[in-house]
Amino acid sequence: MIESSQANKPKSASVNVGAQKVGAIYAKAFLGATEAAGKSDLLVEELDAFIGALDEFPKLEAVLASALVTHDEKAQVLDRVFAARLSPLLLDVLKVVSRHGRLDIVRAIAQEVSKLYDELRGRVRVQVRTAAPLENALEHKLVASLHKFLGGQPQLEAVVEPELIGGIVLRVGDTVYDGSVARQLHQVREQMITRSVHEIQSRRDRFRHPGGN
Amino acid sequence: MRFRADEIASVIQAEIENYQSQIDVREVGRVLEVGDGIARVYGLSGVMSGEMVQFPGGTIGLAFNLEENSVGVIILGDYLQIQEGDEVKSTGKLLSVPVGEAVIGRVVDPLGNPLDGKGPIITTERREVETNAPGVAQRKPVTQSLQTGIKAIDAMTPVGRGQRELIIGDRKTGKTAIGIDAIINQKDSGVKCFYVAVGQKESTIAGVIEVLRDKGAMDYTTVIVAGASAPAPLQYVAPYAGTSMAEFFMYRGEHALIVYDDLSKQAAAYRQLSLLMRRPPGREAYPGDVFYAHSRLLERSAKLSDALGGGSLTSLPIIETLEGEVSAYIPTNVISITDGQIYLQPNLFFAGIRPAMNVGISVSRVGGAAQIKAMKRVAGGLRLDLAAFRELEAFAQLGTDLDAATQSRLDRGYRMVEILKQGQYEPLNVVDQVLIIFAGTRGHLDKVPITEVSKWEKQFLTFMRDQKPEIWKKIAETRDLDDAAMATVTAAIGEFQKQYAAKAGTPATARV
Repeated sequence: MIESSQANKPKSASVNVGAQKVGAIYAKAFLGATEAAGKSDLLVEELDAFIGALDEFPKLEAVLASALVTHDEKAQVLDRVFAARLSPLLLDVLKVVSRHGRLDIVRAIAQEVSKLYDELRGRVRVQVRTAAPLENALEHKLVASLHKFLGGQPQLEAVVEPELIGGIVLRVGDTVYDGSVARQLHQVREQMITRSVHEIQSRRDRFRHPGGN
Repeated sequence: MRFRADEIASVIQAEIENYQSQIDVREVGRVLEVGDGIARVYGLSGVMSGEMVQFPGGTIGLAFNLEENSVGVIILGDYLQIQEGDEVKSTGKLLSVPVGEAVIGRVVDPLGNPLDGKGPIITTERREVETNAPGVAQRKPVTQSLQTGIKAIDAMTPVGRGQRELIIGDRKTGKTAIGIDAIINQKDSGVKCFYVAVGQKESTIAGVIEVLRDKGAMDYTTVIVAGASAPAPLQYVAPYAGTSMAEFFMYRGEHALIVYDDLSKQAAAYRQLSLLMRRPPGREAYPGDVFYAHSRLLERSAKLSDALGGGSLTSLPIIETLEGEVSAYIPTNVISITDGQIYLQPNLFFAGIRPAMNVGISVSRVGGAAQIKAMKRVAGGLRLDLAAFRELEAFAQLGTDLDAATQSRLDRGYRMVEILKQGQYEPLNVVDQVLIIFAGTRGHLDKVPITEVSKWEKQFLTFMRDQKPEIWKKIAETRDLDDAAMATVTAAIGEFQKQYAAKAGTPATARV
């Protein structure tokens, strides 16, 4: 059944709509600063690394997100831990975020940054779900045809999902192009059911008393 | 009998061969939170307001609130199966219901799914649930009458085809009974009837359906049910769905009648949805657009112009008041939208005056245009006379001695009140109504004791049907009661009085 395949759920936890809205504003400012410095590639990568560090040390995230820890203390923590590892510009951005008491939504900011950065560079994220892993030749062909179709540079994110049986499911933004065998089988099933129901009903009508029940 | 496996296999093979493979393109979102009949969905960036969306398992939803980062969806069906993270598909279609002859005689839910166990509704015709009301050029003034079969209403607050007449009153004052009587009376008139039950007890609805079936009214009636246990979104949508089914007949040049029982419950359901969607509350916590919710619904009742076939949709919305409070928010709104109201009062109801209609404040803004000529002639001054009688009656309770003229006016008034009483589920043909009101207003019952008025009426109407069918037939054909006809009716009444007196054994004497 196509409904039961829940692998299309993004891996991240629930979306916080409010945080996302605020994050988008910080993300725009961040990219503005990095573009002006001409170091966007490096800084976006570093931001991802920073989020990776938070994943690894949840206690560090708890300290940074806590409202009980003052901005000065957070700035010191950031300096001590990351001064040698991150560019000064990113560190400054994090301190600005901290000064506004928004370090709790730094993940949302990072998500919005990568989204905006993709847009800026004309990249389109495409989630590709197939029943078996994509072969290289097929992947190149897919990228080429998607490039023509979408106009941007497709960034494939491959997901293997044996429940699809065959075919391919593409997801671009909120739009899903479903050419999987599982869905087609499902549709054939639905069609057969509706047709049979009609058939049964029309036969039944033939024997019904014209005066009603 | 056994099925042969290869036979079935060949059928399935044919199905598969017929199947045309297409890529299914859909816009999707993800459920962020769900509960109380609503869901907040992330994604669906291209969805339109009012668009139908589909949850896994086939449950339908409506995009209700479009926000910057999420979409508020009302769920039309079982929301307990939907979970956080479920995929929501947009369909690109507006909500629609099956319409046409196939829905007549059925009991359906607001999405058009049958609830009566009589199999699926087979029709290819569908109509969108939210459609625009006909405009000015597409309409015509209301001139044809819609007989409710209730003496008090047909005589004093007549309802025309295409009119919206509000039935308003406290609980247990007989509001539903008027709607049901009006539906029962449409037998043989060709008017298709729709009864929309919103937020009613399921047992009450079952009772109504039983009565309609008993009286043979289900042959031309559709019942749309969103009971008290239905989720608020279904209760909110039910009146619009019922109107779509009824409109189909209006646009086909036929006549339809729809009873909304009741709109206060629909407003409460809409309030629930709006508050859950965090729309700002206004007066009595209703959202700001609750007026529009009712006005756009009731504007769809109309009398269409001849160019469009001259069909009509008459509506009888019902509003329940609390302790007679008509100046509450929803009652004032609906009073201002409709073309008149029938006001029912508990004190009249318990005094035995049923239908418990308060004649003084019940009005029909269409008025005499919606009455047949004969009725207009006999019931012309009835409303004012009765209002004057009520005043006089209150005054007469103070004193003891009254002059003869006043006493006779009182006697006449008591008998008219008695004549206007009518049992439930006993709608009366309009000719019968004309005859008995004629007899009452012309004083032919002044000598009949009040307790015998209903007996006199019953026997008189039987007498006219059995022994004077030519008079009865003439009124039915001409729909008029000219002076000559009045004279023949007066003569017939005289004849009947003699028979009645003979049967009673003693001459009728006036007793109060």
